[in-house]
Amino acid sequence: MKKLIEFRNIVKEFDGNIVLKGINLDIYENEFVTLLGPSGCGKTTLLRILGGFLEQDQGEVIFDGQDISPVPAYKRPINTVFQKYALFPHLNVYENVAFGLKIKKMAKDLIKPKVERMIELVGLAGFENRDVTLLSGGQQQRVAIARALVNEPDVLLLDEPLAALDHKLRKEMQHELKRIQEEVGITFIFVTHDQEEALTMSDKIVVMRNGIIEQVGTPIEIYNEPINEYVANFIGDSNILDGVMKEDYLVNFDDKDYKCVDFGFRPNEKVDVVIRPEDITIKAKGQGKLNGQVISVLFKGVHYEVVVETKKGASKTVILHVLQDRDIFNAEKKEKMHATDFTMDIEDVADITDEDIIKRANAQAWDSETNEDISIGSLDYQIDAQPGRYPVVFKTHNGTFITVNVTVVEPKVVKDQEAKIGIQAFDIYKSVDEIKESMAISFDLKTWADAYAWYLDNDDEVEIDDVRFDFDPNEIVEGDYEVTFLTMGREYKIHTTEKQEEGSIVSIDFDPEDIHVMSKMVQG
Amino acid sequence: MKSFRRLIYPYMVWAGIFIVIPMLMIVIYAFTKEGNDTMTLQFTIENFVRFFEDQIFIQVLIRSLILAIITTIICILIGYPAAYFIARLKPNSQSIMVLLITLPMWINMLVRTYAWRGILLETGLPEEIKVYIGMVYNFLPFMILQIYTSLSKMDPSLLVAAQDLGCNSRQVFTKVILPLSVPGIISGITLVFLPAVSSFFIPKLLGGGSYVLIGNLIENYFVTTGDWNFGSAISLIMTVVILLSMYFTKKFDYDKENGK
Repeated sequence: MKKLIEFRNIVKEFDGNIVLKGINLDIYENEFVTLLGPSGCGKTTLLRILGGFLEQDQGEVIFDGQDISPVPAYKRPINTVFQKYALFPHLNVYENVAFGLKIKKMAKDLIKPKVERMIELVGLAGFENRDVTLLSGGQQQRVAIARALVNEPDVLLLDEPLAALDHKLRKEMQHELKRIQEEVGITFIFVTHDQEEALTMSDKIVVMRNGIIEQVGTPIEIYNEPINEYVANFIGDSNILDGVMKEDYLVNFDDKDYKCVDFGFRPNEKVDVVIRPEDITIKAKGQGKLNGQVISVLFKGVHYEVVVETKKGASKTVILHVLQDRDIFNAEKKEKMHATDFTMDIEDVADITDEDIIKRANAQAWDSETNEDISIGSLDYQIDAQPGRYPVVFKTHNGTFITVNVTVVEPKVVKDQEAKIGIQAFDIYKSVDEIKESMAISFDLKTWADAYAWYLDNDDEVEIDDVRFDFDPNEIVEGDYEVTFLTMGREYKIHTTEKQEEGSIVSIDFDPEDIHVMSKMVQG
Repeated sequence: MKSFRRLIYPYMVWAGIFIVIPMLMIVIYAFTKEGNDTMTLQFTIENFVRFFEDQIFIQVLIRSLILAIITTIICILIGYPAAYFIARLKPNSQSIMVLLITLPMWINMLVRTYAWRGILLETGLPEEIKVYIGMVYNFLPFMILQIYTSLSKMDPSLLVAAQDLGCNSRQVFTKVILPLSVPGIISGITLVFLPAVSSFFIPKLLGGGSYVLIGNLIENYFVTTGDWNFGSAISLIMTVVILLSMYFTKKFDYDKENGK
């Protein structure tokens, strides 16, 4: 195959924002190339530079052996299918398709057969005299493709052309486009953020991120051998785990060594490990490599998506004390006030602010007649960095006040050595109404308990993934309740055609060639 | 929703009293003779015969049409490039330009025309030129705004698409921008040509009385001569001329939009 287009060190900047950071890419004749990446990665900018609608700040675009940078858009042997089709509303289907040929001053008797053939190729025979504004999205798309292809360009650029179509039509057009490309035999450069589109149609996929190319390869290469976490995440579903490459063909993750087929890493290099969900099989307990509990099963049509937890997260249980309402009513000023006791960490005493105290005590004041909120005018407290109980007085400008007790305690941290996670949370004191009024009870419980979890080795925060309690917030009565905060354990996503029971203990298994080891990504 | 329909009643009453009834009265006057009262109403087409038999009246009608046509053409020739220029400015500058164009319209048309009379009085220009200056000055903003609106709502991706399909910048204009702005030109014509045909005080003030148009003629028969019947007949003839020209412009517009 002959090299048709060469991007050499293309740099493009918009208002001080570098959107292309030195792109080098070769495109060959008759290739279906997809530029894949999220919005803002620079894929459309690269396409527009090739089309001649934008000029690069640095670098060259070599087309068929020549630098085409000085050639204006209308003279380039390139045509584009635009995202919103950009059909001419004052022309009908035939006239839209014939537009480019008429501009080239081609004889009418030559235009007609070409246009008719192209309209037929895109499956719109019989629609020649239709008003383009009255066509469906899919039909407009076909007109746009015909309008571009009739000029017999060397390259067809397609800028997210399927984005506006519904799922079924998009699938249909994917096959259509591939068929048309094979039939006309020219290079198609297709821009999309849809990984499925890229995998279905392309000969070559170019994965882009933040103005750089992460990986170029065939769909199979990109899927099976993603170069880093970003590509693995972008293409298909995957389980991505932290690991250490012990030596060639031996990787350690989840505290175990596994044989693999990867080599060429430094000894003990930290790596990302990818295992595709469809490469994992579920076996009876003890029969596979890792035992775990099935924690969710979702039906996805062709397969079930099963999540198996092989290691539990860290957890901490606190007591939720549900108390009687202690609203203060100042009948003279027609003001009501509310606040509750709370517990705090001895280490937090030094940096506590008025706002923190108001938030933790959920202190509020409002007009008893209009229910309008009133601001808390002042706080009066003396809290020492000593375990004990300290009174806090909240006061409005009119002198209405409420007193609560703050209990300062030594932090009760659970250090889970197996999960390497520390977690802390405090007992909660709340009124029945506060629980009932909560819009997002799990979120509020986390805030009230000041629940926090972190990795013991590097102090990075770990998300508290689950809050468990066995009361109904809408039906709660006074009393003490247990609330447990949990971090996420080690979970594997698995695609299988066999239904699994939630809660059952199974074993998961994978082969050495299903483990893909990738270098850690350089952040940037 | 249904109860909202009652909100139309005030306008219906207004339209009945101030539009429908006066129109009917003009029709009755045009087809009757002077001196009739309600008891002895006599219908006649004498007023119309009189108009079409007299060369002078026909000449005045033609002169009015020519004045309106030329005014409209000048407005298009000046207004289109202006509108095109404005539509390509940054959004903020566009609003300022539109404000500048509409600014003179905040002042009453009569006041503005008197100002022009003062300006043009000493210039010694032919009366006809003075009338054209006044007419174009008054009607130009309507043309610019209509064309500007149609240009500014045009999808910019169409222009990129035209370039992509081989148009140089001149062809982008003639093949895409111009055809797509035709609806704007048509509504500009409607807003300029129709009032220009029947305008009477601009020619009167700037043309110094020697430049008689159909509007002046009507005014003359109603106000000076007091021949309401003949005045009504001329009004009716002018109404028919306007309706015909509206019909033809709309037809032209419709055909263009369908690309035929």
